[in-house]
Amino acid sequence: MPRRTSPKRPTASVTATVCFADPKRILMVQVIWDGLFVGSFYALIALGYSMVYGIIKLLNFAHGDIYMLGAFIGFAALTSLGGIPATLSIGALLVVMLLSMVLTGGAGVLIERFAYRPLRGAPRLAVLITAVGVSFSLEYGIAAIAGPNPRAFPIRLEGNVFNIIGARISLPQIILILIAGVLMILLNFYVQKTSTGRAMRSISLDRNASLLMGINVNQVISRTFFIGSALAGAAGVMAGAYYGKIDFLMGFIIGLKAFTAAVIGGIGNIKGAMLGGLVLGFVEAFGSEWFGGQWRDVFAFAVLILFLTLRPTGILGERVTERV
Amino acid sequence: MKITKRSTMLLGVATAVLLATAGCSGGLLGGGGDGGDGGGEESGPIKLALVVPISGSSAPTGAYMENGAQLAVDEINDDGGILDGRMLELDVEDEACDAQQSVAGANKAVSNGAVVSVGGYCSGATLPEIPIFEKANIPMIIPAANSQDIVNQGAKNVFMINGTGKQQSTAALTFMKDQGFKTVALVDDNTSYSKDINTETAKQIEEDGSVTVALSTSVTPGESDYSAVVRDIMGANPELVYWTGYYQEGGLIINQLMNAGYTGKIMVADGSVDASLSEIAGAGAEGVYATMTQTPDTLEGAEDWIANYKEAFGSDPGPYSTQSYDAVRLAAQAIEDAGSTDGDAIIKALEAIDGFEMFSGPLKFTPEHTLSSGGFVILVVKDGAFVLEDDLS
Repeated sequence: MPRRTSPKRPTASVTATVCFADPKRILMVQVIWDGLFVGSFYALIALGYSMVYGIIKLLNFAHGDIYMLGAFIGFAALTSLGGIPATLSIGALLVVMLLSMVLTGGAGVLIERFAYRPLRGAPRLAVLITAVGVSFSLEYGIAAIAGPNPRAFPIRLEGNVFNIIGARISLPQIILILIAGVLMILLNFYVQKTSTGRAMRSISLDRNASLLMGINVNQVISRTFFIGSALAGAAGVMAGAYYGKIDFLMGFIIGLKAFTAAVIGGIGNIKGAMLGGLVLGFVEAFGSEWFGGQWRDVFAFAVLILFLTLRPTGILGERVTERV
Repeated sequence: MKITKRSTMLLGVATAVLLATAGCSGGLLGGGGDGGDGGGEESGPIKLALVVPISGSSAPTGAYMENGAQLAVDEINDDGGILDGRMLELDVEDEACDAQQSVAGANKAVSNGAVVSVGGYCSGATLPEIPIFEKANIPMIIPAANSQDIVNQGAKNVFMINGTGKQQSTAALTFMKDQGFKTVALVDDNTSYSKDINTETAKQIEEDGSVTVALSTSVTPGESDYSAVVRDIMGANPELVYWTGYYQEGGLIINQLMNAGYTGKIMVADGSVDASLSEIAGAGAEGVYATMTQTPDTLEGAEDWIANYKEAFGSDPGPYSTQSYDAVRLAAQAIEDAGSTDGDAIIKALEAIDGFEMFSGPLKFTPEHTLSSGGFVILVVKDGAFVLEDDLS
């Protein structure tokens, strides 16, 4: 039987074509780029993990679900806006992303206020289990409201594909990495240069001493949750727009990956979280390149175990002195 | 101060519990039974267990199956029921495409007194149900789950009215040869159903010899970024990618393959046949092939049935509506033939069935309790919807 002619596939606005001159070398560039791209998502989410851990020593397992919440808020906002012309999609996306950041930030503050603050004096394990409970509440709360079915995101980022030394790099990828970079630079400025940032750093060093110095500890912790959750919310909207699919369990695996990234970088350390995200992205990309795609997660979590055994404080973490 | 703190906490716990129960209310509502009034009794409604995904990623298909089964129940009850006027009743439990949930659902159905099970969508969730129903001597008519692992259990109470993984692989290979594909990449999602088709297809390809497997790999379901497998595929450069997992990851992989400049063809297995596939994959889904059993809209002469379905539920039927409808009819027929709700008698009656008319053709089970012919066809995505491409006959 002759090969049937396939229906013509709309090519979107993809223009460039790939020419493989030296496949092996070129593939490496692609691996590095893919690692960088995924790593910047991990970094954005790892930041919230790390900031919260730094300030109240809590592994906030609900953090991945804040990312999911951000994606759903973006979905709801874009759906209610109706049809958006393709030329405005980047602008609309930015507006929706800001809205989603404010709302997820607010959700983070509420979660801290009602789920974690009442347990501040309780054993660490109790708070940890509460965090798991909050995670389930968010997941199945969204499933009850929005339904369990996956949704296709109303905006799909599409754009030119550039061919840079053999790697296919698309405009949306560049835009998303830029957004992530800008958010991280702003955060770094906020933590290093403002008085709230200084208060955050001092609370993470010694909460009681900060209290004695007249720092409003509760307010600063609330702000930390706001910022961390807002970053995760931004990542959620970006992931929805880039990958095109959201569902109520989307935060689970990426939450674990972000936790891994935070540990690799040194949990509690902001620059460590950014670095850890990128390192995890590279580790995954190179791991799957060397061992095959099905080994990617094995490789990523093996690195987590290695770090926990050999260097639990991570790449940038400082040695923890036990205070009695 | 202390009291306020505690009450806030209590409020939080209460909210969490409320939210959690809201999430699974479908399963609770479906239960409806009042404990141990058994179908084994001589009067009262005869209960059929329908353990299908009501929550989780495969929930849309669960709704199609529930509606299909309900349609058959309503028709049979309108005709006066079975065994001299006893009514049929569905006991719907959530499988959630998850082994733990499905075991809980199956146990609940058994204690509710179901006499035949007519559910089973995700193979990984259906497998652990088998020992539960087997111990209770309840025959299972499985409308959708089709992993070879289920056949290999060799349980005498299990009957499969969907084609098996083996038969699906044969259909895939036949189509590859028809179209002249020389190299193929097999990608699964590490679930029982998906891995089964992957290994079975690889085995048949090797035996046949006219097609080469350029790459065989797995992905982790539930993620968004599949750039690793996309790179592997681009490196292997096959003429056809055969994705054997479900539609969520399938849609993402198709989209990411197209963005990476993949120019070959893509084929998916029946777990990816869902309208959402092209929503998620976008324009890249056009021209994607699928191995699938007949759906109502690809069947000839199913218009009346589709109209009835639409009238009853206000929406179009979907994948496995017809199989679930047939499963209930088959169960009713077998109970009628057996003249009782005794498990052994029903199993005997099912084995003896010959020429029972179903959507997939006249039924006679093989000694393994599977269909003698899988009835798989090839569909293709056209304008975002699956249409019949090749009936492989």
